[in-house]
Amino acid sequence: MDDRHTIENFLLTGADEDFCALFEAVYPRVRRYFLLRGIEVGEAEELAQDVMVIVYQRAGEIREKEFFNGWLFKVAKNELTRFWRHRLLRARIVEMEPLDDELAEQLMTEMEVAGSSDFVEWVSYLEPAERDIIILRFVEELSYEELAVALAIPIGTVKWRLFNAKKKLAPIIKALLPATARRIN
Amino acid sequence: MTHLFSEEEWNDYLEEQIDDETRDRFEAHLIGCLSCWKFYERMANATQALRVSGAGMRSVFALQDRQLSAGLRGVFAKIDEAEGAKRDQPRRVIQQRLDALAAVMAPMCGSQTATKALRAAAQVSHARSLERVTEDNWTSFLMSLKPIAAVMCGETGARLVWESGQF
Repeated sequence: MDDRHTIENFLLTGADEDFCALFEAVYPRVRRYFLLRGIEVGEAEELAQDVMVIVYQRAGEIREKEFFNGWLFKVAKNELTRFWRHRLLRARIVEMEPLDDELAEQLMTEMEVAGSSDFVEWVSYLEPAERDIIILRFVEELSYEELAVALAIPIGTVKWRLFNAKKKLAPIIKALLPATARRIN
Repeated sequence: MTHLFSEEEWNDYLEEQIDDETRDRFEAHLIGCLSCWKFYERMANATQALRVSGAGMRSVFALQDRQLSAGLRGVFAKIDEAEGAKRDQPRRVIQQRLDALAAVMAPMCGSQTATKALRAAAQVSHARSLERVTEDNWTSFLMSLKPIAAVMCGETGARLVWESGQF
């Protein structure tokens, strides 16, 4: 079953088993979004779970069901804003429990792979809002309409922001990519 | 605006989401304008590189079954917790009301006597016990409390308790 049908099924029934199927399709994407926005693995998973709780509780309120992905990332973006605000306000330093070796190794591998990728390096040159739109467009493959919902901006502004983010990235990509990888097919 | 075209049109052209008429205009212009052609080439390369690299990111963060299961368990635990808190909320409100009544009575008759008065009122009300006082039987509880409060705190104190107990 493709993701679109999985989403439609859950929105139609709201049943736990359909939520499980939706979770499998959606949770990895939300988790990835948080990781690419620079959140540590454990916190990214917590945040992604919080987003899924909201999906479970409030998906029935979505008016335009074809823009579920846009709504999903709007929720994720709000959770991220809440997370940063909370982190800023937190006065005390919480002592972290040590990770077990297997988990630490697995997490490090994942972050090392991501951290050494071109994409992560390129977006690091962007402002947070630009980073959002580039990640949602090129990793999550959101349509213009879905981006408009996710970022709460008109479609014209989506296109304008995408263009300007790419314009900013073009010389960076040119400078950082090897010449052989730069040729257009 | 970049030459004849807006940023939105440039973006649509680069992402191949443009109508035929505008695409023809673009291509007619690009043939004769070297600076726009160079700009297009640079932007198209960047767009393509982002597409390829973005696709690579999707596989980097793929999850194993056990990670998905752990995530799903975490979500259902959070849902249960949220629903439990929702269920407990009315009880918390009632407890706050009872605490408020005890706080009103305590200066007049002492805190232990106030607690005993609340317990006695609950027993003779529809609630039958302090733990079973709810929003539904609150009025019955309050009516039972009023004469008890009158004995312990006087008529004025009882009126104050009655007023404080109104939702």
